[in-house]
Amino acid sequence: MIKLEGVSRVWPEFAIQDVSLHVSEGQYLVIVGPTGAGKTLLLELLLGVHRPDAGRIFVGDREVTGMPPEKRGIGMVYQDYLLFPHLDVARNLAFGLRYRQCEPEHARRRVQEIAQLLGIQHLLHRFPYTLSGGEKQRVAIGRALVTEPRVLLLDEPLSALDRGTAARLRSELKLLHAAKKLTILHVTHDLSEARHMEGPIALIKEGRLDALGTADDLLRRPPTVFAATFFGAVNLYKAEASQMAGGSRVVAGPIVAESDLAGDGLHLMIHPDEVVLIPVEPTGKSNQLCGVVTALTDEGNFVAVQLRVTGLPAPLTAYVSRHFVRSNKLELGRAVTADVHGAIHVLKE
Amino acid sequence: MNVAAVQPAAREPAKRGGVSAVSWLLIFIPFVVVFLLIGRYLIAGVVLAVTILWAVKDRKSERLPLAPLAVFSVSGGLLIFFIILPILNLLFTTEPSRVVSTALDPAVQSALFITLSAALIATCVSLLFGIPLGYVLAREQFAGKSVVEGIVDMPVVIPHTIAGIALLFIFGRGGILGAPLKTHFDILLSDTYWGIVLAMLFVGLPFVVNHCRDGFLKVDPRMEYVARSLGASWLGAFFHVTIPLTLRALLSGAIMTWARAISEFGSVAIIAYYPKTINTLLFEWYNFFGYTYTKPLSTLLLLVALAIFVSLRAVATLKRAEY
Repeated sequence: MIKLEGVSRVWPEFAIQDVSLHVSEGQYLVIVGPTGAGKTLLLELLLGVHRPDAGRIFVGDREVTGMPPEKRGIGMVYQDYLLFPHLDVARNLAFGLRYRQCEPEHARRRVQEIAQLLGIQHLLHRFPYTLSGGEKQRVAIGRALVTEPRVLLLDEPLSALDRGTAARLRSELKLLHAAKKLTILHVTHDLSEARHMEGPIALIKEGRLDALGTADDLLRRPPTVFAATFFGAVNLYKAEASQMAGGSRVVAGPIVAESDLAGDGLHLMIHPDEVVLIPVEPTGKSNQLCGVVTALTDEGNFVAVQLRVTGLPAPLTAYVSRHFVRSNKLELGRAVTADVHGAIHVLKE
Repeated sequence: MNVAAVQPAAREPAKRGGVSAVSWLLIFIPFVVVFLLIGRYLIAGVVLAVTILWAVKDRKSERLPLAPLAVFSVSGGLLIFFIILPILNLLFTTEPSRVVSTALDPAVQSALFITLSAALIATCVSLLFGIPLGYVLAREQFAGKSVVEGIVDMPVVIPHTIAGIALLFIFGRGGILGAPLKTHFDILLSDTYWGIVLAMLFVGLPFVVNHCRDGFLKVDPRMEYVARSLGASWLGAFFHVTIPLTLRALLSGAIMTWARAISEFGSVAIIAYYPKTINTLLFEWYNFFGYTYTKPLSTLLLLVALAIFVSLRAVATLKRAEY
């Protein structure tokens, strides 16, 4: 439905560089990235208010690269709503209809429909400055939907709302997406919001597409160190790679893994919830590490055990149950064996 | 809908209606002194009485005078006194019947009409050209932008007699543009109504451009993006979103320009002494008949200026301050 091919645009202080992305019809793509990564600019390039210096943009089967925003059939909703303050809610909703040959009676009906869909019928005659944040955002979404766009761009639509309202609107957005079969690109910096939307996630870093995948992919198998760090990886170690038949052997201190990846800048990531702690001496099998407990942190549903492991530049964290801590009498200074065999993931710089 | 109820008050505003030592020094004493000086004892007494009653009614909100504040207020009060003394003197010591008879004088009426209409035309022209320039200055960053902004402000700092002479070299009978206009199109700008418009345009332009620019700066460009995503063309977004949101700034810029144009004398008198504007007429009467003779006309002009001033303040405090 939406295709970006090598889209680049350079501003004096920032650049979007070589972004290629394909979003199929009806998909809900969440774009995440740190503040200032260029997420909003990417949406605005798609919207058409900025022209790319290079690359091509397609919506459906049409190329829209040089097309003005009004011809693209893309709706946009910003974080701060940007309702037209001189118009009441009804006229804000109807704004897009005045540019279409639309009978007044039909326009009125359409506004009513949208208002009903979003539960804002009672607000139609109010002015934007009298509305709460959640109400404003509903109006902004409604205003974008009135013209039946094929694609809806949401720029941090829930960030300015309180938790409860944001959670409600988030669920409504999912329902709306399903009901209207819209293609949605949703920018956020909030990871839980991104995971809740259940669609694929694109990670943007300094104007480039860093990683793309499902939430599960990016959490369990992040392709880059940046993605791993962004999604909260705790055990990351710089590794050395050496060639071997059918791939490479990747080593970080006492941890050894095999991988298809090769070259410099490889890292090892150890999933803390896949580390098996054994309260006995190591048996000598590979990837069984000998460690000393240096910290125990109760995280609520689990306990994070921090170990000092000889040969590893940084501590290793493992998640275990409270029951495990009690029954094995884990305490500071206690020596344990950490089996990381099934917890290793190799990734690039 | 009460705005204050919806938007959290940023800071508790100073309590109104309270009569503190500061407001005495800044407002009431200068007014009482002025009315005493111009011999309007009754009005002075009324002002004093109203003030005292007010003070008694609100005595609870009276604040303690602070020594440095009092010193500053005394000097500030002198300034207020300096401004209101000549104005109130003119307004209160001119016989209303003489103002009326002056207003009925055909020469005055014609001069007044010429002044107001030429100023209006100059304002419309400056809006026509000032709105696009203001928009470009607000939205675009380009090399030499500060030079353009400086040029726009130049008519404010150039002495207006010099502006008149400079314009005469261009648009006068033998001027760079004036001469070909005369030979080819038989259009003469110097000593005509359109010369007056030209001079007024020159001195009034900066106000429109600067007000427009400041107004456009307050409209988030993303507001225009949203309008365009909804199907508005660039012009549609400009006229349906940007202009309505800057209406107040445009209006106050236009009123400022109009007021500046009406009060212009220096450049107008040089480029077009005839037909006479109200200022030229006033100057002529002053030269021939002395200053007491011009008093009713001055008062009339002052009333016109005050009316404009009041409308400007009204526009500035227009409701819908919430955008």
